[in-house]
Amino acid sequence: MSSSWNDHTPIYIQLRQRVVAMILDQSLQHGDALPSVRQVSAEFQLNPITVSKAYQQLADEGIVEKRRGMGMYVLDGARQTLLARERQRFLTEEWPALTRRLALLGFDLAELIARTTKPEESA
Amino acid sequence: MTPVISASRLTKRYGKDTFALREASFTVESGRIVGLIGPNGAGKTTALKAILGLLPVEGELRVLGMDPAAERERLMEQVSFIADVAVLPRWIRVSEAIDYVEGVHPRFSRAKCQAFLARTEIKPIRRVRELSKGMVAQLHLALVMAIDARLLVLDEPTLGLDILYRKQFYESLLGDYFDADKTILVTTHQVEEIEHILSDVLFIRDGRIVLDATMDAIGERFVEVMVGREQREAAIALGPVNERTAFGKHVFLFDAADPSRLAGLGEQRRPGLADIFVATMSRPAAPAGASA
Repeated sequence: MSSSWNDHTPIYIQLRQRVVAMILDQSLQHGDALPSVRQVSAEFQLNPITVSKAYQQLADEGIVEKRRGMGMYVLDGARQTLLARERQRFLTEEWPALTRRLALLGFDLAELIARTTKPEESA
Repeated sequence: MTPVISASRLTKRYGKDTFALREASFTVESGRIVGLIGPNGAGKTTALKAILGLLPVEGELRVLGMDPAAERERLMEQVSFIADVAVLPRWIRVSEAIDYVEGVHPRFSRAKCQAFLARTEIKPIRRVRELSKGMVAQLHLALVMAIDARLLVLDEPTLGLDILYRKQFYESLLGDYFDADKTILVTTHQVEEIEHILSDVLFIRDGRIVLDATMDAIGERFVEVMVGREQREAAIALGPVNERTAFGKHVFLFDAADPSRLAGLGEQRRPGLADIFVATMSRPAAPAGASA
């Protein structure tokens, strides 16, 4: 009945990833407050310790900061930090897997690129 | 800091050899949400009754530093309890119920109670018999959450409620009530519903505590592995606590197994509390030697 969590990763890490995704797609921007631990705990029916752990990890990574008595805030440059890290992860993990899959399916990379709409057209 | 509950070798015997509790020992620390989970007749309600001072038991029991049986009245100023949702008298009006609790409980806040009720459809003029089962549960929760108690005991609090009221119940509890100075002890059959809310879990079976762990420890200890037929013997050699089959594969549950040895066996997942519960309860019972 609660949110759909997968059963491969601890929930606090999945919660961290949700916040990261929100920062990447800019629904959370620098200076924005994260919802309070109590709010997230009630909404997702999670123990407050689980929520605090997710927030603490984001703080340790330099993505958010705790302001005394006010809660957690997204730090300046958080999105850049995350983007740089995600780009690096894409290159080292996702791209090699993707190229293997393309090769398996017999795709030619240049041909695929030609089929892809240029982003400028929609801008 | 002294624990909220410390129970040592609690035993409750009926007649010569029927045990409701058998040397059950456990500790509940402040600021935790603890699930006491067991099949029917395992001793859950007996344990709760002992904690609330409603039933004398053998063994050492301290709740908030007090002996519940001897100091029940003083203890009840700090402890709230929701048993079945239907124990409010059917003829009483909502406003009268509030007056009553205010009259008997020194730590009750009328303002808090009214604030909770204002967010529901419940009108003060209504009588309990005019409310749906879900609304009675909401009223009960509003009365109890307005009491500033250190320990809240919930015995099957959402039994018979539909999914919307069940979700609301825990949402209110987490959003409006629980904090680091409070402690909740909850029993339920709806394991899936509360597993992410809990910080600790106690499994009780035949009056004995058979699992006592934090949810963090549970996440680290238990692993489920999907094993193909050819690897089955290798998996059994590592001492799984349970085996079931799914999609032609053998699904093994391991408790505290060496991760490096599990790695080659097959796909792994984190089992839910319900999986661990079923595995724990379907294992052969401990040797009956103690009572034979």
